[in-house]
Amino acid sequence: MTDPLRPDHQDADRLERSRRVGWIDMDAVVGARCLVIGAGALGNEVVKDLILSGVSRITIVDMDDVVISNLNRCVFFRTEDALAGGHKAQVIAHRAKDLNEAVEIESIVGRVQDLPTERFKEHDVVFGCLDNVAARLHANSHSYFHGVPYIDGATMGTTGKVQVVRPPLTPCLQCAMNRTHYKLMEKRFSCTGNDVTFFEPKMAAEITTTSVVAAVQVRECLKILSGKEDECIKSVWYYDGLANRSEVLEMDLDPDCSVHSR
Amino acid sequence: MSVRVRVRNAETGSTVDMELEEENTVQEIIEGAAGYWEKDAGAYVIRKGKKLLRGQQTVLEASITHSDDLELIPDPEGG
Repeated sequence: MTDPLRPDHQDADRLERSRRVGWIDMDAVVGARCLVIGAGALGNEVVKDLILSGVSRITIVDMDDVVISNLNRCVFFRTEDALAGGHKAQVIAHRAKDLNEAVEIESIVGRVQDLPTERFKEHDVVFGCLDNVAARLHANSHSYFHGVPYIDGATMGTTGKVQVVRPPLTPCLQCAMNRTHYKLMEKRFSCTGNDVTFFEPKMAAEITTTSVVAAVQVRECLKILSGKEDECIKSVWYYDGLANRSEVLEMDLDPDCSVHSR
Repeated sequence: MSVRVRVRNAETGSTVDMELEEENTVQEIIEGAAGYWEKDAGAYVIRKGKKLLRGQQTVLEASITHSDDLELIPDPEGG
């Protein structure tokens, strides 16, 4: 004999309203495993949105510690974390449980470049929530090599962008790079000697733009998990919050891209 | 054969006309326009309509023609 229906049954399921969206395959979402590379502003928002969307298995990678200036845009960080020098990835893994005690979050304190490449193929989707070109290209190439969709997000002040990479069909991050990107990489990694300091101004970053970009990243993930890849951004979505403008721009695959030619 | 295009600065709205040869690359357009406007160090891309142009493409390969409107867009890097 089945259990009798309770009047409040619709409010007893945390994902009941998500199920009503219709096109979202909630079984696939709940069963998915996502890799989030970067536990800064975007990483915080992406993890928050993934958990609230129903994703229950997340791996998060970051090498940095929490500082006070993170607190204007990182929803999981607190003053006590900054004062204690907490590792960003570990703090998110700990505090994200407040959103859903059943979620499994593995935190890895370290650089994405040190992550064993096999870890990429253990996941259904990889999120790029990074703050530099070199780490993005690394995450892009390893995701591509293992055939795992890679969703890259970036912000600068009140502008942002999201690129969805679906191997082997779509252009990758490297296809979009030009000399201005590589010059940034060279500037950071050039050998300047121990007695020379390279001053790099901090980038403007605030929560409203971060929230928008991260939300779009997670939504693209929901599309992929739900078999709606045809509805994904092709290729890059640009956002300007000050001008109230957003646009999807297409890009051709670079026939000489080293990522594709492996 | 040279072509004259108009490049728009997405951040300020200002424009500049550029004279290009078929063998000029998109990268050279980016660097020329960014230099003209004394842009901050950073990454930039060029769009033509709904298309992002790849840096290595030449004017010919990117089908850039006379009187085309291009836009120089800063490429966000933060996160």
